[in-house]
Amino acid sequence: MTASGEISPPAPAADDAALVARMAARDPAALREAIARHAGALGRIAFRMTGDAHEAEDIVQEACLRLWDHAPRLAARHPAGTSAAAALRLSGWLARVVTNLAIDRLRLARRISGEDVPDHADDAPLADARIEADQCGASTRALVLALPDRQRAAIVLTYYEELPNAEAAAAMEMNIKAFESLLHRARAGLRQAFAGQGDAQ
Amino acid sequence: MSVNEQDMDEQARTPIVPGSPLACALDDFAVPELSAGFAEKVAAAAQARPPATLAPLPKLRRSGGGRGWRLGRRIAIGVTCFGALATAAAATGLIERFDLPVPSPEKVWASIIGKPATPAPVAAPVAVQTPADPAPAGLAPVRIEGPIDTPEELGEAFRRIEEVRQGRIAARRQRIDQRIESEIERRRAAGQRVPTPEEEARLRQRIEEARVRREGARSDRIEARREELLERVEQGEALTRKDIMRPLREDARTPEQREVIERLRRMSPDNRREALRQLPPGQRRELMEAWRQRREERMRAAPDEGKPPATERPAQDMTPPLSASGTPPAASPR
Repeated sequence: MTASGEISPPAPAADDAALVARMAARDPAALREAIARHAGALGRIAFRMTGDAHEAEDIVQEACLRLWDHAPRLAARHPAGTSAAAALRLSGWLARVVTNLAIDRLRLARRISGEDVPDHADDAPLADARIEADQCGASTRALVLALPDRQRAAIVLTYYEELPNAEAAAAMEMNIKAFESLLHRARAGLRQAFAGQGDAQ
Repeated sequence: MSVNEQDMDEQARTPIVPGSPLACALDDFAVPELSAGFAEKVAAAAQARPPATLAPLPKLRRSGGGRGWRLGRRIAIGVTCFGALATAAAATGLIERFDLPVPSPEKVWASIIGKPATPAPVAAPVAVQTPADPAPAGLAPVRIEGPIDTPEELGEAFRRIEEVRQGRIAARRQRIDQRIESEIERRRAAGQRVPTPEEEARLRQRIEEARVRREGARSDRIEARREELLERVEQGEALTRKDIMRPLREDARTPEQREVIERLRRMSPDNRREALRQLPPGQRRELMEAWRQRREERMRAAPDEGKPPATERPAQDMTPPLSASGTPPAASPR
């Protein structure tokens, strides 16, 4: 369950393979269908990673375009009707791309600004006026954004997107043990920051 | 780890419980919807892309610390495995079998603190078995410096050498007496039969006869050798220490070898056998080879003496040399 609404049920693997095959055949309708299926979850991941709605939309768009570009290769690797096609999880593939793109953007922003972006609240006007107005939401956002990039990604994928640890680890291209260790550190950091907020209030 | 840290660690292992204050706070992180027409915009952008465009996928994002830790862990595992293998090989004596020198901890420590290493462990049993040395200074090898080119100088060298030789003969005789007495004492303490005074006298006489026979043959050889050297000096040849001392095989050995042999000589046969077994294989081989050469030389030099005394055989092959009457060996090991 997420704060923004319903989670779209994961598409069957066979559908994913068929969708990729259609995209490989350069069918724009297939891309629209993939966007309709996955863009919501990808947008949530990207926004919670970056805290910026415009940046999140850019990231999702970039991920969808990469899916379009790589569709022929994916289709060749997972031909429809084979066991390889059953192994294809488009949601996992896209989540990995979005997570990596988000971490890239955060690192780039840190290099350009020369400041430690996640460690302080963003003073610039927020992209979404509703969130800007919501003081409670801003403090929660600060709580999540204060986490280091990868810990934040672990929390976003497992808590907000409710991915199993194995899938989240695959999305972050980590082995399960390392991911669980990362997740433990992320939870500890969150709890500590949350306790700190409570003390401050 | 403090109590607070333990609590935090346990909390970190448990997932965020829905409905908890933290979960409620996290759920407040609302997400805006994607803009209207997002799918159309992306589809249009995709169709507008040139066919050759293939953006590379983002690479693996690993923090530097993680890679360092993995590398460090591999290095640590490698070092540990190597150490375990080396320790196992050293413990089983595998390294010494390949003639690789393995320094003992004493030698390593001595090299660190700059002091000479303590004697090898084979010397341990000597403390119990070693009789008092009657004249250690008299048994020291003769030092000859510079060339000898006159008969007088050569005579003086022979005199000093003879002094040392006689001192060694006396020390050897004393050792034989001590061993006979200690063996009799041992048998008496163990309740075994001891030789009667007549048997003991006969035994001592036999030993003395064997010694005289051996010393006589050796003296003949030395005398012949000295005459030869004297002739060379009289012909104007200058002799060096090597020319004079060469026939004395004992002095031709390295100081380390001499020390080891001397220690082994003073041991009882059992202890000697055990000490030889404990020696490093390389050193043991050298000693055995030296013994073997010595025996061959002796047999070549005195073929009429027949089989060499049992004490001339390598100690490893020796059985405790008791005579028929159960008394100690007829001659001291050399």
